[in-house]
Amino acid sequence: MASYSTKAFLILGRINISRSRLQNATNRATYVSVLSMNSPTGNRASCRYQVGVPRTEKMPVDQDWTAVYPSAAPFRPNAVPLPVRMGYPIKGGVAPDKKANLELIKIPNFLHLTPAAIKKHCEALKPFCTEWPLALDTDAKCDEHFPIKVQTTHFVSAGPSLRNPSARIVHLKVKLSSLNLDDHARKKMIKLVGSRYCKKTDILTITTDSCPLRKQNYDYAMYLLTVLYHESWKIEGWEAEKTVADMEEYSWENSPSQRNLLDTLTRMKVVEEEGGEEVRQQLLGQAEVQEYKDSVTRLKNEGENEDTLLQYKEAVKKVLKL
Amino acid sequence: MALQRIFGFSTQPLPFSVAQASQTENHIGQFYTVPASHIHTLFPHGLPLRYQQQIKTFNEACVMIRQPALEVISYLKQTDYNKPALRYIFYGTNGSGKTMSLCHTIHFCYTQGWLVLHIPDAHRWVKNCKELLQSSFNSARFDQPLQATEWLRNFRITNESFLTKIKTKHRYVWTKREFTEEGSLLGELVDQGISRVKSSSDVVGAVMKELRLQSGQSDAAFRLVVAVDGVNALWGRSTIKKEDKTAVDPDELTLIHNARKLMKNDWNGGAIITTLSQTGSLYSPKLSYRPQELLGQVKRGFDCMDPFIPVSVPNYSEKEFESCYLYYIDRHWLQHPQSHTEEGKKELIFLSNRNPWMLDKICAFL
Repeated sequence: MASYSTKAFLILGRINISRSRLQNATNRATYVSVLSMNSPTGNRASCRYQVGVPRTEKMPVDQDWTAVYPSAAPFRPNAVPLPVRMGYPIKGGVAPDKKANLELIKIPNFLHLTPAAIKKHCEALKPFCTEWPLALDTDAKCDEHFPIKVQTTHFVSAGPSLRNPSARIVHLKVKLSSLNLDDHARKKMIKLVGSRYCKKTDILTITTDSCPLRKQNYDYAMYLLTVLYHESWKIEGWEAEKTVADMEEYSWENSPSQRNLLDTLTRMKVVEEEGGEEVRQQLLGQAEVQEYKDSVTRLKNEGENEDTLLQYKEAVKKVLKL
Repeated sequence: MALQRIFGFSTQPLPFSVAQASQTENHIGQFYTVPASHIHTLFPHGLPLRYQQQIKTFNEACVMIRQPALEVISYLKQTDYNKPALRYIFYGTNGSGKTMSLCHTIHFCYTQGWLVLHIPDAHRWVKNCKELLQSSFNSARFDQPLQATEWLRNFRITNESFLTKIKTKHRYVWTKREFTEEGSLLGELVDQGISRVKSSSDVVGAVMKELRLQSGQSDAAFRLVVAVDGVNALWGRSTIKKEDKTAVDPDELTLIHNARKLMKNDWNGGAIITTLSQTGSLYSPKLSYRPQELLGQVKRGFDCMDPFIPVSVPNYSEKEFESCYLYYIDRHWLQHPQSHTEEGKKELIFLSNRNPWMLDKICAFL
């Protein structure tokens, strides 16, 4: 049992302020203090507030936890049977324990969302759901039949207004491989959307939030997708002016590297210039030249690392016959 | 070829001599001494500053034989010199020994009797230029007389013997009254450049052109090795400003323009050996060391040098570190008693990560 030194219980009653000052004495009487129990001369009527056994000691192991924490509630040390400690360790010791620990009370806890509780929520929601179609049992099948994924967030809150402006945002994700795009269209699409395309996962994400309603944003996103698709298939006149700097990947044909190599090889073989085109074709057809071409393309497209540089070195040595 | 003393590590206690041309893979990690006479002629410029101080301190120039240099030397031995010049690029992180590998290779070429055209640090030509003249030859370009004369002087020291043998094939007109006739000696051309400071950059260009034209011919008496340290400066940016405070493009500098022409492999009978250097380079990120990062994909450097043979220069291997450590101990360079213990050695390995420059810096006096 806890021993008392001096404990003051503050009981605030509903004090009517409209009373006159003569009643001040009664106001003071609303404070009830319990003096030390050890003193035999207890002046006041001793209202013993016995602190009972904490609830944790009476909890069976197989209890229904959802009854203890049915909804979001602050941390109650006497209701949580876990020996948690939190806070900065006192000198030469450990973190303070859970009794009267403000740190534990301040933080959000999810004691009301244990797996058992979630199961109950799911069971409660089941009557309102429809069956999952049996034919869609793998992710791949879902992607195949439903390539466009739309993500929206609905908010429920009790407050002065039920609306939440963040509820209008719509994310539309689609994999470019599921769209019917040829090489030119794909490159043009990627250039048009810019940073909305992720190269690693091949997913185009369109996020719309410019309209006030979710339905409007959804329609806008679908419209954008349609327009992008059709525009990327069109070939404009000015696209013929595409320069080397605009190219997405490095191609070895007609690059300075190819010119240099052919130059060097011609000078090495001391071949005459007359059969220009055939000689060129013949040189290009050699296996070493193909290897060199692969290594340079890899170097430029993948970036440099020890691997690619080594491959380039070997290819150069073979081509120049070292 | 002078015989040089080899400095072995503990498995071979007695020093033995191996000729420069016959260094093989078995000698990796060992040191060989470069004779003092070679240092004075071959390296009036070109050795790293700390290494020059080390030479003065130890009174000898010991170079460690390492794999990258040996590799390039082996290629040089195998090449057919009737084919266009091959380009080699040493690349590696800061302080891993690229300049020293370059110097090792140049020394080999020198002992074989080649003509050495060594540009010690191309970065020095694109920054801190005190005098910038407009070029008389091409008014769009700029001359750097001070750098050009300094280089010509060092070139003369290195290749004294060749200057009296090579003759020019073209006629050069410097001013209204001064010209160099066809068939005059290269030495005269170089002297002209040193004495007439104003036209020295053009003389440099002329010298490079002559050597390039003549080296591949069947009647040439020499083989040419072009060695450039910090070749990424040729295609980088410069900090030199024109009078109206706009930056000068390296292409507008005569020296750089001529050096770039040398880098092309349209001449035979020699080799082009270069290093990339981040240390002196301008506007390049500190951690970049690979060819494309420093030569620049957009700035044409890679395309100009392509196809080249990239040679990686890594930090010391365990064996090489051992060797260097024992060399310092033998020279009484590591004075602290703890450095002779195993603990001390582990500490050195940890602090320097076996990086040659870092090791040198740590072992140096305060």
